[in-house]
Amino acid sequence: MASKDYAHRRLVNTLGPERVAQGELERMVYSHDFASLPKAALLQWRLYPDFIVLPQTTEEVSTIVKLSDESGLPITPRGSGTGSYGGAVPNRGGVLVDMRKMNKILALDAANRTVTVEAGVPWGHLAEYVASKGLSLGLVPIAAPASTVGGAINSGAACVGSYRFGSLRNLVLDLEVVLPDGSIVRTGSTNDAGGRFADLKSLFLGSEGTLGIVTKAVLRIQPEPEESRAAAYAFRSLAEDARFLETIAGADLAPLHVALLDRNHFVFERALRPDVPEPMDIALVALQGHKDEVLEQEKEFDALAAKAGGTRLPGNDASDLWARRFTMYGARRLSRGLAVSSNVVPADRLAEATAEAHTLLRKLKLDGAIHLALQDPTSAVLAPYVLMDDTRPSGPAALGFVKKMGDAARGLGGHPMGLGLFMVFNLYKMHGRATPFMGAVKQVFDPKKKINAGKTTEVWTRFTWPIIDTIPPFAMGLGLDLAAFLRRIKPTRDRFARAYRRVGGA
Amino acid sequence: MGLLRDWTFIEEAVRIPALREVVREALIKAVFTRDDRVLPRGIIADLSRAPAATVKVKDDAEIRKLVQVFNGSESSVNLGLAPEDYHYFRKELGVGKDRDVGVVPKPRVLLTYDWLVPEPRGVQLDFGAYRAVDLDGGQRAIAQVGATWKDVYDAASEKGHLVPFVPTVPLDFSIGDGVWGDAPYASYRAEFAEDVNALRTVSAYGHRTRLGFEEVSGEGAGYDLLHAILPLADEFLVPTEVAFRLVPGSAARRTLTYGYEDAAKASAALDKLAGSLRTPHWVHMADAGAAGVLRPGVAAEAFTVQLGIGGTAAGLAAREKAYDALLTGYKAKAADVPNPFDVPADVYRKAADRVGRSLFVGEVRMPIKALPAFVERAKALGQHVSARPSLYASLRSSGTLSAFPAFESSKERHRVYELSKGVANAVAEIPGATFVSRIAHLWDDSPGFRRRMEILRKLKLEIDAPRVIQPLVVP
Repeated sequence: MASKDYAHRRLVNTLGPERVAQGELERMVYSHDFASLPKAALLQWRLYPDFIVLPQTTEEVSTIVKLSDESGLPITPRGSGTGSYGGAVPNRGGVLVDMRKMNKILALDAANRTVTVEAGVPWGHLAEYVASKGLSLGLVPIAAPASTVGGAINSGAACVGSYRFGSLRNLVLDLEVVLPDGSIVRTGSTNDAGGRFADLKSLFLGSEGTLGIVTKAVLRIQPEPEESRAAAYAFRSLAEDARFLETIAGADLAPLHVALLDRNHFVFERALRPDVPEPMDIALVALQGHKDEVLEQEKEFDALAAKAGGTRLPGNDASDLWARRFTMYGARRLSRGLAVSSNVVPADRLAEATAEAHTLLRKLKLDGAIHLALQDPTSAVLAPYVLMDDTRPSGPAALGFVKKMGDAARGLGGHPMGLGLFMVFNLYKMHGRATPFMGAVKQVFDPKKKINAGKTTEVWTRFTWPIIDTIPPFAMGLGLDLAAFLRRIKPTRDRFARAYRRVGGA
Repeated sequence: MGLLRDWTFIEEAVRIPALREVVREALIKAVFTRDDRVLPRGIIADLSRAPAATVKVKDDAEIRKLVQVFNGSESSVNLGLAPEDYHYFRKELGVGKDRDVGVVPKPRVLLTYDWLVPEPRGVQLDFGAYRAVDLDGGQRAIAQVGATWKDVYDAASEKGHLVPFVPTVPLDFSIGDGVWGDAPYASYRAEFAEDVNALRTVSAYGHRTRLGFEEVSGEGAGYDLLHAILPLADEFLVPTEVAFRLVPGSAARRTLTYGYEDAAKASAALDKLAGSLRTPHWVHMADAGAAGVLRPGVAAEAFTVQLGIGGTAAGLAAREKAYDALLTGYKAKAADVPNPFDVPADVYRKAADRVGRSLFVGEVRMPIKALPAFVERAKALGQHVSARPSLYASLRSSGTLSAFPAFESSKERHRVYELSKGVANAVAEIPGATFVSRIAHLWDDSPGFRRRMEILRKLKLEIDAPRVIQPLVVP
């Protein structure tokens, strides 16, 4: 292995000194993502990268990947770092490739309704650009507007709009990827070939950047809707609210987005902003399309909601909730930290799923809220979040909730989302005997384990010595179970919102 | 089915020759048309080793046993054969020690043609009797691969659901034909794969292995192997059941039928539809020839467009008016023309028999605006080869038309090759169009395609390490 000085010189020669960083501050910034990581994690992983590089072209990415053969440094690609599972965080230092300088929108083909973009383009910017051309993205990841196109593809993100327009897989037509050997490939065809025979794009969706670095994407876009409306309904209980969503999934309706926000979410929001509606269990429905269809569906939703015991809220409240659909985690300011547990659960078992989440929050004495969004008539993303303060001894134990919630989702016929540093123990539980095939995929693409290794099929530690170089996945799971147990025996509940109000703000 | 095997066979056969580009196409033609006069003896031998036995599958345990015998993990088998050891079993099948032997599913109906290289001396799995359907899980169904699409569609309709995908060319396909055959399942919203949640399979080790999640979609659960290999899944594993989404049934459904005088008008109308955010369940188009086969005795315009729509009884009339306004330029509109799918099973099968007599060469995918150009070229091709063309097509919300040209012609292999080549040449002149067929993929010698196929081949060899699921054949 070459020295770090040598690696640094080679990187600087390739990109120039202004696009290679190794300062302490930069390294710290890139050592975590949206999730709150306990300091103890530094004992297990080298979360600080050795170098941060900012390539501007696919060829530069390819050169950086090839340099890894000489330097022996692992590579971690990263978008905006809006993920929560450590997919964009190094586990053994190395070179962190920040893709945000590859942020050009390369072409928009209005006739064929496609847009070609570099992977570092933020969704918010892309949505604005597409709207300025009289078109619409239709589908936008939940982590938008800050998350990047490449980041969402790598995390296999759940999207706002997928109930109407299908999953992210349906949005992505073709990808350009730098493979671990430095070669540049396209995963399919820019013509719509229907994904037949030899289309590799699906492998990169949700791969956490472990198979290669996505540098460009061709995305489908939609016509601009004639009418957009949002409606919000308040329910007496979480169970009623969840059953309303179950009814929607079983009805012949095509809303753009349907979400559930529980009472606690508004308790947190109200602590931060006084202009938030009275805390209630609320369902948010967004409709897009032709005016006649939208109005017809709106009436059907009103009728369904009334039947389920819901009351329609004033239009301003619904518009405000819709406008804030991407800013779900403001409550982080109440507690300094927050952990999200994203899970896919069956759409006909939402009442059970939300009850399970509620019970877990209570049992683990956590301050948390429940967020749920329908993805398609069979599936919904249940993403409860909990507040945590990792400077307190009990703080990191809140991560046990993520494990327990994932287990509950599996029990209901669903699965947890995301692997990354934390969730690899779920792989076998999710895929059973197909798990070795996941290893086979990694082996075929990255036999030398250069790119973002140790995060999908095995958990690397910061060490390279045998035996302690990996953690058995079950041990990770056991650790999080222990964390959940510690939360259960904690004598007091977390009361972050109350504490925040008491001191009059941050 | 068989694409990796065919591709590997051709790749290996032309690995050495200096004139690879020339030899490659000549070899594909000779292998496809089985021209034994020009093929080397070794290749003829490989092409002549048809599967030695067919097993009618009634239970996936039988497949597991078979696979375990082939991979050497079980030395005897209870399949009506003498319980002898592994080598005796191979001997019975006529397989030498130096050759891999495996299993291959038998398609119920093939729209186009069989594969070039047969499963050498292996066992063909006939899933005709493996056809149960589970519709008890909310908005999802789990169908055994032998269940016919029509049976699943009817069973789901009875339970108040709708199978979201319909075959663009209405043949009597099984669900498995969508995985290992060439059944052109799709909806207006998306391709077949988008509706598939999971596959239940038997792996090369003889284990029941599930790809994907039966009850929910698989977002964020690691590598999406299911959708990456779905069109080739039977070369990696033996699929036994398919779990897919259902669409909630509508209170009222209607089929709208519009007749157009020419392709330009039909294309303009469909372009307007795709540029709107209307959501019909499916949109199909047939030219006069195809419409005549689907509905004999009913006079048809040059192009007939049919849409399946649903909604509340009250809202449907308004919706119909909106479609009328979108699909302008039609010469005639009818409300009483049945669609090919919501008819009794025996009527569906009779129509499928009629449709199946035509010769299909594959799928042409093009922007809807390119329809007139393609129709023109298909006509010219038909005249050139003396085979009257017709067209079955379906539209996607993306504005892509998935068209299946059919020819009134004998189904001899050289004829199929000639027409495939003709369609490929016609498509090459149309911007944005792609010819998707098994033989067109073998013709594709571009570095990008070769690289992707190489990756898939490596993946197959990793997943099917015991080499029992349609083993690759090297000449």
